[in-house]
Amino acid sequence: MDNNIEKRLQNLRDRLTYIGDIFAGKHRDNADLLEEKLSSFTERARSDSLEDPYGDLAALEDLFNYVERRLEDNITAMDRVRIVRHPQRICLRDILENVYDNFTEVGGQDEYSLDPGMLIARAVITRRRGKKSYTQSVMVIGQEKGHGAEFRNGGSVKPWGNAKARQYMRVAETEGIPIHTYIFTPGSYPIEDYPGAAQQIARNIYCMAGLRVPVVTVISEGGSGGAEAIGLADRRLMLSHGYYSVISPEGAAAIEGHLKAGQRATPELIEQCARNLKITALDNLKFGYIDRIVVEPPLGARPWHFDFFRHLRQEVLRATDEVVISTRTLPVLKGLALARVRQPDANLDEMYTRWGLSPAAKDRLLAHRQQKFLRLSRMAARDRRPFFAKMAVALWDWASKPWVSFKYDFYRKHQRRIRTFMEEMDNEWEVFKSRLFSPWRKLTRKLPTGRDDAGKTKELTALSSWSGEGHRKRWNYLSPRYKIDRAVTCPNSAAYGCLDLWGPDLFAEFAGVCSHCGYHFPMEPEWYVKNVFDLGSVFEFNSEIEAGNPLNFPGFDERITAAQKSTKCKSGCMTFEARIDNIKLVVAMLMGTFRGGSVGAAEGCKFVEAAQRAEKKRYPFLAYVHGTAGIRIQEGTHGVIQMPRCTVAVRRYIESGGLYMVLYDTNSFAGPVASFLGCSPYQFAVRSSNIGFAGPGVIKETTGMDIPPKYHRSYRALSRGHIQGIWDRREIRANLKQALLTIGGRNLYYR
Amino acid sequence: MIDISALLDEIKAQPFRDIVITTPHTGVVTFADIHQGDKAHGPQGQWKEKPGTVIATLERERNPKPICSAEKGVISLLHTELEGRFVEAGTPLAVLRHQLTRAEVENLILRKALHLFPAPERAKYYFTPDVDKKIRASDAHSVIVREGMELLIMSRMKREVPLHYSGPSGVIYAVYFKYNENIDAGAPLIGVCPQDQLPTIQEVIMRVQTDWAEKD
Amino acid sequence: MVENAQDLPPLHEHRILVANRGEIAMRIMRACRKLGASFTAIYTADDAASGHVRLAREMGEKDSLYRVSSYHDANELMAVADATGCTAVHPGYGFFAEDFRFARRVTKRDRKLVFIGPSWKIIRELGDKINTKRLARSLSVPPVPGSDRPIYDELEAERIAKTVFEFQERQGIDRPLVLVKASAGGGGMGIEEVYDPDQFRSVYRRVRNYALRQFKDEGVLIEQRITDFNHLEVQIVSDRSGRSPVHFGTRNCSIQSTGRQKRLEVAPGFAADTLSYTFDADRVLRDIVDYSLAMARKVGYDNVGTWEWIVTRKGDPFLMEVNTRIQVENGVSARIARIRGQGEIDLIAEQIRLGLGEPLGYGQADVTFDGLGIEYRIIAEDPNNNFTPWVGHIESFSWKPEPWLTMLTHVPVDEPYEIPTEFDPNLALAIVWGKNLDEAKARGLAFLQNLRLTGHNASGDPLQSNVEFLKTSTERILRF
Repeated sequence: MDNNIEKRLQNLRDRLTYIGDIFAGKHRDNADLLEEKLSSFTERARSDSLEDPYGDLAALEDLFNYVERRLEDNITAMDRVRIVRHPQRICLRDILENVYDNFTEVGGQDEYSLDPGMLIARAVITRRRGKKSYTQSVMVIGQEKGHGAEFRNGGSVKPWGNAKARQYMRVAETEGIPIHTYIFTPGSYPIEDYPGAAQQIARNIYCMAGLRVPVVTVISEGGSGGAEAIGLADRRLMLSHGYYSVISPEGAAAIEGHLKAGQRATPELIEQCARNLKITALDNLKFGYIDRIVVEPPLGARPWHFDFFRHLRQEVLRATDEVVISTRTLPVLKGLALARVRQPDANLDEMYTRWGLSPAAKDRLLAHRQQKFLRLSRMAARDRRPFFAKMAVALWDWASKPWVSFKYDFYRKHQRRIRTFMEEMDNEWEVFKSRLFSPWRKLTRKLPTGRDDAGKTKELTALSSWSGEGHRKRWNYLSPRYKIDRAVTCPNSAAYGCLDLWGPDLFAEFAGVCSHCGYHFPMEPEWYVKNVFDLGSVFEFNSEIEAGNPLNFPGFDERITAAQKSTKCKSGCMTFEARIDNIKLVVAMLMGTFRGGSVGAAEGCKFVEAAQRAEKKRYPFLAYVHGTAGIRIQEGTHGVIQMPRCTVAVRRYIESGGLYMVLYDTNSFAGPVASFLGCSPYQFAVRSSNIGFAGPGVIKETTGMDIPPKYHRSYRALSRGHIQGIWDRREIRANLKQALLTIGGRNLYYR
Repeated sequence: MIDISALLDEIKAQPFRDIVITTPHTGVVTFADIHQGDKAHGPQGQWKEKPGTVIATLERERNPKPICSAEKGVISLLHTELEGRFVEAGTPLAVLRHQLTRAEVENLILRKALHLFPAPERAKYYFTPDVDKKIRASDAHSVIVREGMELLIMSRMKREVPLHYSGPSGVIYAVYFKYNENIDAGAPLIGVCPQDQLPTIQEVIMRVQTDWAEKD
Repeated sequence: MVENAQDLPPLHEHRILVANRGEIAMRIMRACRKLGASFTAIYTADDAASGHVRLAREMGEKDSLYRVSSYHDANELMAVADATGCTAVHPGYGFFAEDFRFARRVTKRDRKLVFIGPSWKIIRELGDKINTKRLARSLSVPPVPGSDRPIYDELEAERIAKTVFEFQERQGIDRPLVLVKASAGGGGMGIEEVYDPDQFRSVYRRVRNYALRQFKDEGVLIEQRITDFNHLEVQIVSDRSGRSPVHFGTRNCSIQSTGRQKRLEVAPGFAADTLSYTFDADRVLRDIVDYSLAMARKVGYDNVGTWEWIVTRKGDPFLMEVNTRIQVENGVSARIARIRGQGEIDLIAEQIRLGLGEPLGYGQADVTFDGLGIEYRIIAEDPNNNFTPWVGHIESFSWKPEPWLTMLTHVPVDEPYEIPTEFDPNLALAIVWGKNLDEAKARGLAFLQNLRLTGHNASGDPLQSNVEFLKTSTERILRF
């Protein structure tokens, strides 16, 4: 048997194990058939009893192809998960070698890298138009699974790996070359070592929301936060056998099945979750979260599918060209160019589009990208307002824009000048006046002042007038728990010797703070709304936008209704305008009481609108996180997409001159912290809060590590530089005011 | 020089310690599902973050609190007659027969080998701030004490008096007092190992490590 | 909180939780017995040898003694009260006596108890020094000259400090002093003296920053610092109606340790008939009594309490603070008081009776005074060394009984006693009565002469006590 046959047989054997692996025991009969044929062929080939080994082999290969095509029709969501996780799946190095013409790995090499899970390369593509050839550079960034190599960590990137990615995105921006990112990750590695998983992803997303070069993303395995860390792109392509999801199906099953640490979910439940989460390329295309599907060979691309790489090359070139062309302004030329590259049979290798952009084009590129994300997922949030009401709001919004811009951009600027002039005039007048009256004053000073003494004595011995008579702090809102006569044990009592606290004292006068050690018991969201902001100044908006069940996740409608009933809120995010000592601000509050404060399409929608409202009214914008457990997994990618979406909204707000502050309370974890919350330059935490990327259970599950108690304490986040300060709950109001005045100052927010 | 073998034999003859589990405060007792002769375990986990076996629940002012076993052992006595009753603070609930662990045996022998610095009065004791800082930063072994050094603060009757160390100089090998706990006069506060005796002490530890088998 | 006597069960149906230890716990238990009420006493493991534990065992019946983990844990007290069926709580002095939250909890919990002391709102109101000061001024009662509201503005603070200096200069004070204190502070924290106006600004800033750090409030009070004064008290007693408070005279507590702790108290406050003063002493006593009663009436004070005053050498009285509790030295006032000619007054029994809702039953005219009382606080301490507490073993403790002597002690006299380290080493209160100052002083000295108190500590040093200090101090009683 010659070497060639042996090689091809090995390939078939690999294909056979692959089929066995990805179907996990299903379609046994097909696999058995192939196995039988393969072994009988091998036997005969070994004994050299074949007349036409190449012909028989080709027939066998055809059979394999046929079976694979047939199985392709029955592929389930969970099968796709197994496909992308399979060691035989193509990985980034295969793409670099086969899609690009040449490349140099940067930021480390193989296992000698800051994080071998994150691969970065400068790659070139050579295209020809006529006789001329053009070499174009791109920055390729993506997770490398390395066909299961241990040191690649399965493409689960550590915080510093994401930091490396961000660094080279910046490099690409400086160099003005497009970025191609390839997402091959089951999720980020959830550790809090500097810079912290959540914090770094947030920085990456914030960075990508403003990158001034074209970004094209290809998703193979898009696991939640890890995917978003390099996924905010102008064009998002997805491999047809990939998945893009908020959480691994196993993780979803563990949550759905209410499993405790160490327990395992049943395969049926996992399969069911994979189906319900709508994680396939088709689903995501339908939702609009990806722009195009790159069709793979049956049962998914493997390194020997060279046709696929050619196809992929065409697709990434097309996507990049499209992005570049769409920044052009001349309508006719633009339309023609777009039509040319969009032609399905166009050979992009024989066309040439310059990828460099002028500053104005970069502005348009950015605007397109930001608008694209802001438009996403609107339909996934329920808005039960009647049509007219919606139209009226939209109309008012449109009509008031010129007025607001007149008021702040024109009037305020000139008003300041007038005031400065008046103040100077006033000073001059005072100086003049004092000169004028100085002889008179000299005279009066010499007069006896006996009367004055009596007055002074009186000041020291008689009752003075004082408006702060009721200076004893009274709260406007008390936790209903104060009505329960019972003692409460402070969790720190073993360490600090705190005596049991009496509930009615603790939850009323003490504002939920242990009087001995200062531990903060969680309070209700209402406590903050009523005690932090000026009484009666809170004006809620968009309260009609409701959390829904966009994926029709089984049984979830009831759970949403139950949460709405118990909290009397329509969604987990309350957005309102309020005042603190007459400083107006817009607040978006994520409430830990509504399904753990998880963020779905409705919450994201409200958050975006709150940021836009703050931008329009020139108010400071505060995200008060009473608690958030992460992205609402039952909404699938409708939830995940809120990470880049809200970050885009926040970035637009900050860049228009707004002051965006975040205040964490109780427990804040996962997606929101790793995006629109974590990207704020001013993040504070209330004492006793926990901040992190993944909870202890998830960390144990994904990394196998036990984490020490207090791993997610805000103090650690402070030492790491994630947050800027830790506030006592009773001082939130004073601290917020001080922060607004000192950080905000004259230029950051509009009083 | 101490005779380690003799000491070990002595301890081996009596390898148990009876721990009386008492109520930390008043309240109504409800015993957990536990019986005489049952095994109980102490806090577990890498950071001792998981509490030990629940012996009983003590409810006071509608606040039930679990009372957990602090060590591993066998419950040799359970005061089940207290079930459902309101008890005083410090009422014995159970007796735990605890087999000495390696660390405890080590400690017992070290007490004989080290120079012990006793408490002059019944009071609460703390390390002076700079010593405390050093201990917290690394561990007690990093502190070298000298005759006359201001080492501890004795606190009683709301007054704090500095306490000077007396005895041979060396490293603090063991600390026998806890934060906010009254120490009787004469009870040892710290165990000091003179520098030249460190090898002897290491040997004690080695011997215990090899000769003392911990059983489940 | 006005309750009618009719609504409450008679005294003998009450059970009172004695939420204290030592001498005061014993006095409360005896008072309960006198009134026919039951009691439940508590003790901690450290305190098991205390006389109050013995007394509870001797006098009590079932449920009258419980061991608790700490006297400071309100949960323990409430749990014991519920388990034993108590209807009221007597806090004694110290511990929870002036804790309005404790009083509030006692009266607001599901199983309500009577707090034997003023109602919690009054405790809160008079426990706030700014509030008390403003209340006094609103009634023309003079507190210490200075600001009566927190000052937040540096310029204003400076102006007020200047005025306080000038004020003292006008009064002819040689070394004027200004006190800057954190308005939210307490217990002597965040208080500094200024003797030089130029130095004020830096002191002010220091105190303000300290206050901001410690109490999250940068308000400061600026007051005159009075150096040469006598410390006087007015004992007020009122029933739950709060309408007709009476006083039980004045006390002079000027003999104190270096740490400003009282060591010797005398009733009445001055002896104008024997000694001569630079001012009209009788008038001062009359004034402070009237002022105190006016304030008590104004707030509707509804139990026993003490108004504390300082009287300067010129005879100016200034209100210092109000103690909304029974005080250690209440016995010395009771010793010289008569109600409708009857002696043997027990103010603690009165407090319990009134606290449980009984009406006062007599007016100011019914209260008369006879002779002079001295109370010695016998404490194991070293007066020559900053009154450092002494801890150790008491071997013998005895004195010569006299008809004019009342001895209050929790230290057992028939067996040795180990002083617990958790509490102040107060051993006994001795109240001596004489028909006038000279007799009282002579009897006091005689008592101290015959007192036997020996012991030693772990290192073999003999017991130290303040008896010698009390002896020498007896000479200067009521002198000013």
